[in-house]
Amino acid sequence: MAKRILIVDDSASVRQVSNIALTRAGYEVIEATDGQDGLTKLAGKINLIISDVNMPRMDGITFLKAVKAHPNYKFTPVIMLTTEAGEDKKNEGRAAGAKAWIVKPFQPQTMLDAVAKLCLA
Amino acid sequence: MQNVVKLFTRGRAAAPAQTEVHAADAVCIQALPIWTKQVETARVQSEEAIIALSGRFASIVNRLDLALDASQHNSGGADLSRALDEGRQELAQVMSALNEIHKSRSTLAEQIRALAAHSSELAKMASEVEQIAFQTNMLALNAAIEAAHVGEAGRGFAVVAHEVRNLATASRETGKGITQKIALVNQSLEEIITTNETVSAREGEALHDSGNRIQGVLGKFGDMSEGLARSAEDLRRESGVIKGEIEDSLVQLQFQDRVGQIMAQVVGSMQDLDERAGAVARGEQLQIDTAAYMAQMVSTYTTEEQRRNHQVTAGSVPAPTLKVQGGSDVEFF
Repeated sequence: MAKRILIVDDSASVRQVSNIALTRAGYEVIEATDGQDGLTKLAGKINLIISDVNMPRMDGITFLKAVKAHPNYKFTPVIMLTTEAGEDKKNEGRAAGAKAWIVKPFQPQTMLDAVAKLCLA
Repeated sequence: MQNVVKLFTRGRAAAPAQTEVHAADAVCIQALPIWTKQVETARVQSEEAIIALSGRFASIVNRLDLALDASQHNSGGADLSRALDEGRQELAQVMSALNEIHKSRSTLAEQIRALAAHSSELAKMASEVEQIAFQTNMLALNAAIEAAHVGEAGRGFAVVAHEVRNLATASRETGKGITQKIALVNQSLEEIITTNETVSAREGEALHDSGNRIQGVLGKFGDMSEGLARSAEDLRRESGVIKGEIEDSLVQLQFQDRVGQIMAQVVGSMQDLDERAGAVARGEQLQIDTAAYMAQMVSTYTTEEQRRNHQVTAGSVPAPTLKVQGGSDVEFF
């Protein structure tokens, strides 16, 4: 049974690149356009979440904290995929419970390697 | 038209004449909302265009995926090649059966020749019968002469000798008849043998010719099949290359996310400045606090380019270039 990945990003082009790469690698993909949309998509089995940081309505860090406070998804690994390369933001993400940090723009293989590693963990 | 007010605190050395400052402030107050709208319009338009473009690219990649999957699962070249092999085997069996029939015609010719040899023996035997009849006739003739020499006493024997001569003559005629019939049979057999040899030779040529033609046709089909398989493979390979190129283009289109964030930050800062200028114009504040404004602007940066651009003076450092990161840019916590 295919593993389900939730992608939360306000950039359609980033969602498309991620979706194509993950689908080809055999994952089932759910898309959300921001943190608030991401919270509504938290349903059923989700093996891993990939989230942007800077998004309208609800940013990625707030979304990450909400996921970690959710009884059903607090152990779901979250990868932050963002333009933010600064240590402050990174530390904020780490403290909120993110498992990995990828800086955009990224090569799809980088993301696939991280997803495969965290899905096995 | 808003009132001309002094918006910014400025350093004493660089301070222009008071009227120029006020004029620049007035321009800023009026132009800021317009600049904001212009930049926001450019941001939205470029974002929409890039999203549409990446959507098209994604659609092309998906279609190429479907086409590649279909061509891999439905390899017409392999099917054709298999059908050709099967056809080749079937036709080889047909040719083998025809060759067997051709060989059996040769056997028939040998058997007819053997029969002709037997009839020659029969002709010899008929000739011997004729010879025996001739000698019997001669014997009967001598017996008749001897019977005549003994006169009345030999009359009975003369009758027997006469009958023997009659029988010898009849035997001789029968022998001749057999010889003639055997000659006719031999002639017929020779004709059959000749006809059989002619038909057999034609058959052999036709078989040889058919074999060559079949091999020729199968060879052409084989070449076509190989050509088709090569074309399909070339098409698959090219499609794969094109798909790879489009996927790479999609990766490059991620710049939209960074550009969008940078432009959104500029719009936000301009709106912030407009609000602060509005407060000064309404007399709510004496002037804009430049340090506070700049600090607020820095806090909204989301990319390294923005921070670097903020720190360096214009033209002193080349503008940061966008580069897709390598595989090592993931940090695990």
